[in-house]
Amino acid sequence: MEQQLRDRAKEHLTSGEVSVVIGYGWNRRKTQTTPVFITKPEDVEKLVFNKLCVNNLSVYLTRKYPDIKALGRPAIVAKGCDIKNLVVMMSEGQLKREELHIIGMVCDGVIFKQDLWPRAADGTADTAAELKPEVTPVKCLNCEVRNPHVTDDVIGTPTDFTPPEEPTGIVFDMIDKIDKMESKEKWNFWKEHFSRCVKCYACRQYCSLCYCERCITDKNTPQWIETSAHDRGNFAWNLIRAQHLTGRCTFCGECERACPVNIPLNIMNQKMALTVKEAFDYKSGFDPEEHPPMIVFDPEDKEDFIK
Amino acid sequence: MANKLLKKEDLDRLIVDVNSKGGVFVAPKSEARLVAYKPVSGVADIEFEYIIPRNSFKEYMFPQTEVVANYEIKKDGVDLNDVQVDAPKTVVFGARPCDAVSVASLRSVFTWDFIDEFYTKREDALVVLTVACIKADDECFCTTVGVKPDQTDGSDVMLMLTEEGDYVAEAITDRGTEFLKEHADVFTNAKDVKTLPVVDVKPIEGVDLGKIDAFLKDTEHYDEDFWAEVARKCAGCGACTYSCPTCHCFDITDEGTFNKGERRKNWDACQFDQFTLHASGHNPRDTQYKRWRNRFMCKFNIYPKKFEKKGCVGCGRCIRVCAVRLDITEVMLAASAKK
Repeated sequence: MEQQLRDRAKEHLTSGEVSVVIGYGWNRRKTQTTPVFITKPEDVEKLVFNKLCVNNLSVYLTRKYPDIKALGRPAIVAKGCDIKNLVVMMSEGQLKREELHIIGMVCDGVIFKQDLWPRAADGTADTAAELKPEVTPVKCLNCEVRNPHVTDDVIGTPTDFTPPEEPTGIVFDMIDKIDKMESKEKWNFWKEHFSRCVKCYACRQYCSLCYCERCITDKNTPQWIETSAHDRGNFAWNLIRAQHLTGRCTFCGECERACPVNIPLNIMNQKMALTVKEAFDYKSGFDPEEHPPMIVFDPEDKEDFIK
Repeated sequence: MANKLLKKEDLDRLIVDVNSKGGVFVAPKSEARLVAYKPVSGVADIEFEYIIPRNSFKEYMFPQTEVVANYEIKKDGVDLNDVQVDAPKTVVFGARPCDAVSVASLRSVFTWDFIDEFYTKREDALVVLTVACIKADDECFCTTVGVKPDQTDGSDVMLMLTEEGDYVAEAITDRGTEFLKEHADVFTNAKDVKTLPVVDVKPIEGVDLGKIDAFLKDTEHYDEDFWAEVARKCAGCGACTYSCPTCHCFDITDEGTFNKGERRKNWDACQFDQFTLHASGHNPRDTQYKRWRNRFMCKFNIYPKKFEKKGCVGCGRCIRVCAVRLDITEVMLAASAKK
């Protein structure tokens, strides 16, 4: 699979079809994977693909990176879950399908956090190890896109994996549990988790759907959201971010993975996704032509308060 | 003064003693699958199995957010009222030597051209009880930047683990001597105890601080592709700076209702795109890799040159928290290899 990826990347770079391949490579000690930007055909050997390739690289195609845009037409190594973000970006006018080459990877799950991956005897990541259920992200357990769904290339042998009918895993168990709580209890649950927030904005920075040129928390004349890491500021920030992702979040899980203080952001974002599914029968990340429900006005809307 | 013994079972008494006198006892604590320096109320709260806490203990001298003034806008002007620093005696137990070394770095900034009492008063009320490292992980690189796993600089009391899980205590500063005296009922005489060997952290081969310094000093290298190549992947969050024991940047912000409120000093990070954004709209660090270059320059050029202190103490937190795995030691290696 890795060789197939490298061969394809080399073809695209050699033919000049793309100028840069955004993919995964090893870190120096070969313990974790890290994003790489391949611009020369002879460098494709640096590309790897394995169960540590958890990062969603679509963030590099946002307007946060004028320097990457300047490299020229990109190809991106993307798992189905990453493609879902690309799809939302396309539907929101952030990306043009034809300006991008997608190298879609068939994927049967990645590790939740790379430091949990077993090591081989020489100290490097043991790529032969099996992905254990207890370190598999909930998104992988319920994945509908193990075969890349919007793509130019398909790398790997397509899988016939079918996700469970009802979403399973700890994120959904927690949603059930929180739904049953009294409001005071809910408040305390989130207050405790948000109290760890340091306002590093890793959740925002790793999210390719948080592409605003000026995030609302950075608008300071007046300061719309208190930037202080106190209860008020932490609630305001985390809840507003969840609101802004409602109907858009694809559950790639990067926000929670990147959070240095382990705030369970997936619970919040998936609760919103379930609500949108129920209200609008909409799931984000599948159709580049369809706009997320919270950003469209439809005269046929069943609610008439807005007319 | 002869070395003293702190028995693990006596820690409870020490904690209660400090806390009951209005002090704050801070120690590594497990929470949300992490170990962090947190206030504790008993030995049961303390996590003893840890390499290094996720946060540095700088937040007990330089809080994430604090009120520095109160204001009220009136018809005939603004009432601006000072806030007195609340600096209770704070004991940090289980500090790591790298973190302790960083205290001098922070102090040099906060006392540079202006004495920032919000910092100094807290630091003056801090007692650092450091436990020398008997274990390290892949990310630890203290010896690469000239810090040892049993370095005493910045510590008030140095603790060495014994085979029994107790600690041999040695006072390093006057503040440490006083602390041992004040708690003489807990720190007993150490006799015939064997301490565990300190971990051997091998310096990263190929890293040469002198060469990095020469490379950074030469402004010719400032606009080289090197920086984009090593740091293009940076996602631009503040996780590295906020977990870094020597990062010290802050922002002043006003919070309140229409005509009254408080002025706060909040952590800020050079990795944010707004950090150097001018009012004109121009941003001298207009791409993420340039912001990351600044972070590296600060650690290995600005800090040593301007303050003659360590900008990087090798704690490795920035590597552990980075979700794109931008490893500062890889850049140190690359910079060491430059001509």
